[in-house]
Amino acid sequence: MTEPVLSVRNLQVEFASRRGTLRAIDGVSFDIAKGEVLGVVGESGAGKSVTGLAVIGLIDPPGRIAGGEICLSGLRIDNLPAEEMRRVRGKRIGMIFQDPLTSLNPLYRVGEQIIETIRTHLNLSETAARRRAIDLLAEVGIPAPEKRIDGYPHEFSGGMRQRVVIALAICAEPELIIADEPTTALDVSVQAQIISLIKRLGRDHGTAVMLVTHDMGVIAETSDRVAVMYAGRVAEIGPVQDVVRNPLHPYAKGLMGAIPTLAGDDKRLVQIPGSMPRLSAIPRGCSFNPRCAFAFDRCRVERPEPLPRGAQSVACHLYDSVPAESAA
Amino acid sequence: MSAPFVEAKNLRRVFDVSKPWLNRVLEGGHLEYLKAVDGVTFDIRKGETFALVGESGSGKTTAARMVVGLLPPSSGSVLIDGISMTDPRQAPARRKLRRRIQMIFQDPYASLNPRFRVDAIISEPIRAFDLVQGEREIQTRVGELLSLVGLHPDDRLKYPHEFSGGQRQRIAIARALASEAEFIVCDEPTSALDVSVQAQILNLMRDLQDKFGLTYMFISHNLAVVRHMASRVGVMYLGRIVEIAEGKELFARPRMPYTKMLLGAVPDLAMSGRQRIPVKGEIPNPINPPPGCAFNPRCPLAFDLCRKQAPELIDGVACHAVNTAPVPA
Repeated sequence: MTEPVLSVRNLQVEFASRRGTLRAIDGVSFDIAKGEVLGVVGESGAGKSVTGLAVIGLIDPPGRIAGGEICLSGLRIDNLPAEEMRRVRGKRIGMIFQDPLTSLNPLYRVGEQIIETIRTHLNLSETAARRRAIDLLAEVGIPAPEKRIDGYPHEFSGGMRQRVVIALAICAEPELIIADEPTTALDVSVQAQIISLIKRLGRDHGTAVMLVTHDMGVIAETSDRVAVMYAGRVAEIGPVQDVVRNPLHPYAKGLMGAIPTLAGDDKRLVQIPGSMPRLSAIPRGCSFNPRCAFAFDRCRVERPEPLPRGAQSVACHLYDSVPAESAA
Repeated sequence: MSAPFVEAKNLRRVFDVSKPWLNRVLEGGHLEYLKAVDGVTFDIRKGETFALVGESGSGKTTAARMVVGLLPPSSGSVLIDGISMTDPRQAPARRKLRRRIQMIFQDPYASLNPRFRVDAIISEPIRAFDLVQGEREIQTRVGELLSLVGLHPDDRLKYPHEFSGGQRQRIAIARALASEAEFIVCDEPTSALDVSVQAQILNLMRDLQDKFGLTYMFISHNLAVVRHMASRVGVMYLGRIVEIAEGKELFARPRMPYTKMLLGAVPDLAMSGRQRIPVKGEIPNPINPPPGCAFNPRCPLAFDLCRKQAPELIDGVACHAVNTAPVPA
């Protein structure tokens, strides 16, 4: 197998606070291959956004990466000096944030912002950069790009702004795009357009995409693989079809059952009692044990490590006693 | 069949979005109006859940606020249990009606007063309508309401900041129930919550409906949530109801092209991998909507008539293409 574009090993992120150190990410590992879309899903506070920020090196003090390794195509990037990381960011990793209005500067025309980014990372003349910016805007589906390039962000609708942000993210042909809730601020009909755009870009350019969202539906439509996060750890990771149709971890099972769907009968939704623990009060053992219907003694003392089950990997003691199926 | 519990007739709400007078005089420009809700008619039967669904700017929240009387309609009327929410002559009757109508808002962080303790929040309607006499009895009632929504009676001594979003929404529901309300308008009650918490709140709302025979008006942009909750659904687009149908029927056999597009656009777990109908365009500017049917620039079935004349809601659908030519289901 070829080397993954992004490889995260045993990542730990800590935030120092007055009441002691809070561990937001605690031993997260995953890979993303070229052209692959990895969905990272979880509820608020699960650590999905912090994982994204750690990869792109934007964890600000008092937060810090306390352990583990992040490699981009074999190059270790978690300990790069700030100046070198700045060159990686934007050039080799593109970023799409949730709110397109705050990720664009309202005082500059969108064209100026795209051209600036292009010229920072690629050695192009002003006119060549402008031509490239127009091509990019056309590629992300903005009508009449040669006119719209001189518009200000406020002249664009939410969906169009998000397209501009995507154009910015891909302007230096990055190997990896991190999209943090890219469709959460958008209406469903626009969301569908943005999803298919991200999917198409990943396919056409062979870009690896890390898609962070709380919306399991978006993941099901877009991703190849999905990681379900809970309280700073990956509870389950695997191919999207397997995880959606046959979730293994009790939390993933509950999460899938809790989502109302457009098909099927409208029986009662599966209810997971309680809510995500606070970082300051993560339970001992498996962090899900107080909410888990299957928890037994071992779950309250020993933290489960990821176990391979077929193509999936699940961090749950329930699967430890059962012999693992032979890998298909 | 008995008369509907809530009747909204031809509701209309126009907002003046013009520049200030001096700017108009100096810089030119004219009066501009935004028709947030433009002729909406529906009724809600006792004990049912009626949902309004639509994208942002479609006017669903404005419609809900007019129904409970938080916003006076520009024209049209709302009757709840036969009493007009707008007619000044019915003010005394309306005062009695108020107790029976409550609202649950989207953001439980904004809808609870942070300086009030939970017992003060929940007992406020009880005191205002003088439903229970005696301090000890009021506290007992508050405790009952808290257990009803799945919290502990002792939680009444805490402040809102000590609760999570889902728990706060439970407090908001307890407050709505405190006045022994029969009709609860829920404006996006779960869109600020995580899915596992959303499931808890939706289940709770359905249990309470079964227990007390509540009538809900449910506002949401989330079609899957609406499908799960609603017995009848109205789909709004740019201030108008474009399709209204029984919940099951609407999701099984949508008729209006907009509804079809909306349903096709929802990313859905169960249908992973299906072909979706490509979505064209975005909602136009409501200050200057396209002439005729507001959906015509995005509609695959649009023809001349659609560009000239706005369609009436006939037999649950406002669409020239559906109403004039029989479209095979």
